[in-house]
Amino acid sequence: MNEQIALSEDERDCYQEITNVAMGQAADRLARLLGVYVVLPIPNVNIIEINEFKMTLKSLEGNATVSAVCQGFIGAGIAGEALLIFNDASFTDIAKLLDYPGNLDKHEELEMLMDVANVLNGACIQGIGGQLDIDFSQSHPVVLGQHCSISDLLSEKKNAWQRTMAIEINYTIEDHNINCDLLLLFTEESVLHMNRLISFLLDD
Amino acid sequence: MVSKVLICDDSNMARKQMARALPDHWPVDVTFAKHGEEAIEFIKANEFEVMFLDLTMPVMDGYETLEAIRKDDLPIMVLVVSGDIQPEAQERVKKLGAIDFIKKPVDQARIAAVLTEYGIIGEAPNE
Repeated sequence: MNEQIALSEDERDCYQEITNVAMGQAADRLARLLGVYVVLPIPNVNIIEINEFKMTLKSLEGNATVSAVCQGFIGAGIAGEALLIFNDASFTDIAKLLDYPGNLDKHEELEMLMDVANVLNGACIQGIGGQLDIDFSQSHPVVLGQHCSISDLLSEKKNAWQRTMAIEINYTIEDHNINCDLLLLFTEESVLHMNRLISFLLDD
Repeated sequence: MVSKVLICDDSNMARKQMARALPDHWPVDVTFAKHGEEAIEFIKANEFEVMFLDLTMPVMDGYETLEAIRKDDLPIMVLVVSGDIQPEAQERVKKLGAIDFIKKPVDQARIAAVLTEYGIIGEAPNE
């Protein structure tokens, strides 16, 4: 199957709106967990080549070190990965909000990373699934790296695909120094399938 | 009497979904705006009864739109329709003058209930 994946303006708009609703549900969960207000961006939806993806990741990086968790999801012929990338500077503030005392060790940071990843990834994936009538199963979250550079992360992942649909959501938390990026990546086959699924939403 | 309704959302799909979710028995003349700035222009040029307003939009977002309406004391009832369901977001828009908050995805029953509650439409006619 060599059909090139592509998105029409209407399809992109549809994914953006579906993501908008799903990330709102995820933000609500995080807001309740941390007792904060989460600032919601307009999500980016793009079909990208793996090389562009690497550049996207590098542009997120700046000079900061990051910690990242990825989590696979699958259901109804659709598969993808949710990649949550945290700026390491965020941990101090998250720890305060979650009432962790004193200095954090690596294990406590890992625990927080997993907690936040579970909330954000889970709610976002289920939010998208819910709107498309898909019950996604999620794999256990895997830590890709702690306190590493984006380049280190990339060398961990071998190039399993060439093109992907990437949905990028940048969450920031008001009045706190907390910043993370959630990237949802769908396989090429999945995008073809999802384009058929959303066509019913686009019909007049 | 036909009601003049403004639907403001940056997503084309969301605008259509919103228009479809309006009660069947409510005679309306619907105008669409792509962001807050366009909505404010329309409101200044024409009289509208109700606006359904999204929050997350480019150019001028929903919060800024509510502020602009309040600053110029524009005569329109605003219902915020958003995926941002954080309690804080709902409180903020009400403080800024929105009469109510409707979460996305919209459903027809909820829209009808809100419109009835504020006396914008009468009870649905019995079939």
